This record gives sequence, C-alpha cells and structure tokens, in this order.
Amino acid sequence: MSFKQGAESIKEKISVGFLYHTNKTRLKLEPLTGEIGFERSIKDKNIHRPGLALAGYVQLFRYDRVQVCGNTEMRYLSQIDPKHREEMLRTIFKFKVPCLIITNNNEVDELFIQIAREQGVAIFKTPFETTKLVYFLSDFLDDQFAPQTAIHGSFVDVYGIGLLLVGRSGIGKSEIALDLVERGHRLVADDIVMVTRKGEGILMGSGTDLVKHFMEIRGLGLIDVRSMFGIRAIRFQKRVEVVVELMDWDANADYTRTGLDEEGISILDVQVLGIKLPIFPGKNVTVICEVIALNYLLKHYGYDAAKEFAKRLEAVISEKSKQIGERRVDYFEHDFE
Amino acid sequence: MIEQEVIIKNRAGMHTRPAAVLVKTAAKFKSDFYIYKDGMEINGKSIIGVMTLAAEQGSKLILRFDGADEQDAANEVIDLFSRGFDE
Repeated sequence: MSFKQGAESIKEKISVGFLYHTNKTRLKLEPLTGEIGFERSIKDKNIHRPGLALAGYVQLFRYDRVQVCGNTEMRYLSQIDPKHREEMLRTIFKFKVPCLIITNNNEVDELFIQIAREQGVAIFKTPFETTKLVYFLSDFLDDQFAPQTAIHGSFVDVYGIGLLLVGRSGIGKSEIALDLVERGHRLVADDIVMVTRKGEGILMGSGTDLVKHFMEIRGLGLIDVRSMFGIRAIRFQKRVEVVVELMDWDANADYTRTGLDEEGISILDVQVLGIKLPIFPGKNVTVICEVIALNYLLKHYGYDAAKEFAKRLEAVISEKSKQIGERRVDYFEHDFE
Repeated sequence: MIEQEVIIKNRAGMHTRPAAVLVKTAAKFKSDFYIYKDGMEINGKSIIGVMTLAAEQGSKLILRFDGADEQDAANEVIDLFSRGFDE
C-alpha cells in the first residue's frame, strides 16, 4: 500500500530567544543576561551538564548543547579557589555554548554573569530542580526536533481511534470527515495533516495553526467545523492508528475479503495499520469507517473477528469429517417464533 | 515529471483569491500537482493546502507536475505565477 506522502522535514535549529519565549512560564525561566545571546541557535535535542568541563576536562565537552548547571556544578564552583574559578568560567564560555540554565535557584555571582555577557551567552535561572527541568526541557526539545511530514488527508478521532483518510483529490475525504463529525466523532485536521514522530513508534497528527478545523467542501467553500458543531466536534491532536486509503472501485484490484491478510503502512518509518477501501455510489463509507474503528478496538482488546471465524470454520470441518448427514443449523427449539 | 521554481510577484502574496484561481487552474488537469515551500509539500489542487503555505511576496516555491498532461499543466500554472495572478 502506498500513497503520496509529503517530504519529511526535521527542524535544524531553534533560537535561544524562541526557547525562552515559548518556555518562560512553563519552566519559570528568569533571564540573568537580558537579551544577550538570544540569536544563538540550538541544534541538538540533548542536554549537557558541564560538570567535567568546569573541572577542567574539555576534550569531550558537548558545548553545542543546552547546558544545565545544578547543585553539583554550582557548589563545586563555590568551593574552589576564586582565581581558578574565573579561569574555568572563561574557558567554558569561550566555547560557542547556546545558553546555560541554572536550576534550584542557585545563587549566581556578578563575575559569572559578567563573563557570560562578554562572551554573548544567555543565562537563565529556574526554581525547578535539575531532574524536573531536564525532563520538561527534553520533552520540549524532542518535540521541536522530531521528524515531521505533511500528509494530504482528513484526520478524525472515531471512537477514540485516530483514523487518517487519504486518497486522490476530490474523492470525498472532507465529506466523509464531515459526516463522521455529524455522527458525533471529532475532527482533528482536514486537508493538511501534520504528522510528527514522537518517541519510538508513535505518530501524532494535528492540524496547522492557520487552518485548524477549517475545511473545504466542494461546492460550498470553506467552513469552520469548530464554530459550526462546537467544541465537542474537534480535538487538537491524536495518535495516528489507522490509515484508510479511499480509492475508486477497480474490478481488477485485489481487495482483502477476509481481513486475515492485514497490511501495514509506513509513515516516518513507523508502521500503522493500512486499509484500502474501494468506494462507489451508494456505499456508506462513514459507517464503514466506524466499523473499521470498532474492529480495531476489538482487536486491541484481543478479539479478531476474521481469526475467530476461521477457527470456527476449522472446527466445523473437522467435526463434519466424523459425522454423516448433518444440517447447517441446530435443532429448532419448539416455539416456532 | 516537471519541476520548476517560481516566485510570488503580487504584493498581497498568495491570499484567498489567487489561491482559488491556482487550484481551479490545477484541477483542470489530470496530472498531480505539488507545491514545496519551507520543508513542507502540499497538494496544489487543495485550497486549504495552498493557503497553508501563506506565501508572501518574494517567497520561492517549487512546483512539481507529474502525469500525462504535465506539460500543459505546467505551462498554464507557471504562466499564472509569472502574471502575478493578474493583480
């Protein structure tokens, strides 16, 4: 199964200013050096603790990462000889460090800030303890540097299952999404679905900031699903679990008849369930989409209808070989209702 | 497959009207039509897709046509860009 996927893109860098402005409240960041160094870029999603570099070992100093100084670093600095300390600070700030965050509201003296200023490095202070800060900051940086792709399709949460409808332009993806919304399901995005790989093997889909919950219906133009159907009809993001490819009915194509031969589809190197759905006039695709979601849920809870049926069939066949003259239904109870 | 870089000429950029003209033009042809800008590739036959790019004056787009009538599609669409959507 294959459909057109947009180019994969990964953000190459973010600026320190962007990091500060998007996280100042969440991470309680307090800038100690004004806006100095806000133009520097962060290119790595990992975080570095410069303990060893401050102790003088700079050979493997990952200066290009966001630096986090916790209690260890700050206490070490406060107890060494002042002259040595100044030398150490000058050494590490000579590297092109993107920025430095001091945790636990540790005291920072004038000299520290002055050296950072001279070298153009932004310094922030936060009341969070190091583990907590690293946890939140990693989450943010992971998200910023996650591989992303734009997929042409409609994305709906159907009974809690993220259903991504794809297919050629004009096949009716938006109309099906609208129909699903009418039946109480929730629209995530229409037309442009931004898919991001989170962690290992998880795909998250959402709309773009500009388009969020607007959709185009051919013949009508643009509509806003959120103001039309209300807050219950939308959601901002959802894990992508099933891809439904709508295709024009083709008598020669090979469609699954039992559901035993499941096909996967790869998006950003993550495998999800893919279903080829031929459509033709009179076919209620909306109901089929609901059934796809319900069937996926059943399988998730351990019941696979196709396998269950196959098992029954095998049982009947093996039973039959022992008997002579059988009927295909059990004996009717005597009520003839 | 035809690939061509174009520049948005009109002052208002690719706002609603030019976007509508563009998708209507592209929809006349059978060929697939994609637009690439800033690490994002969208379907050029979808109005929301085109508007998502929010392409301002002077921005560069890469157009890609693929299909039986790609030459005709490319000619007409590129002409539209070079005329600045008649604005």
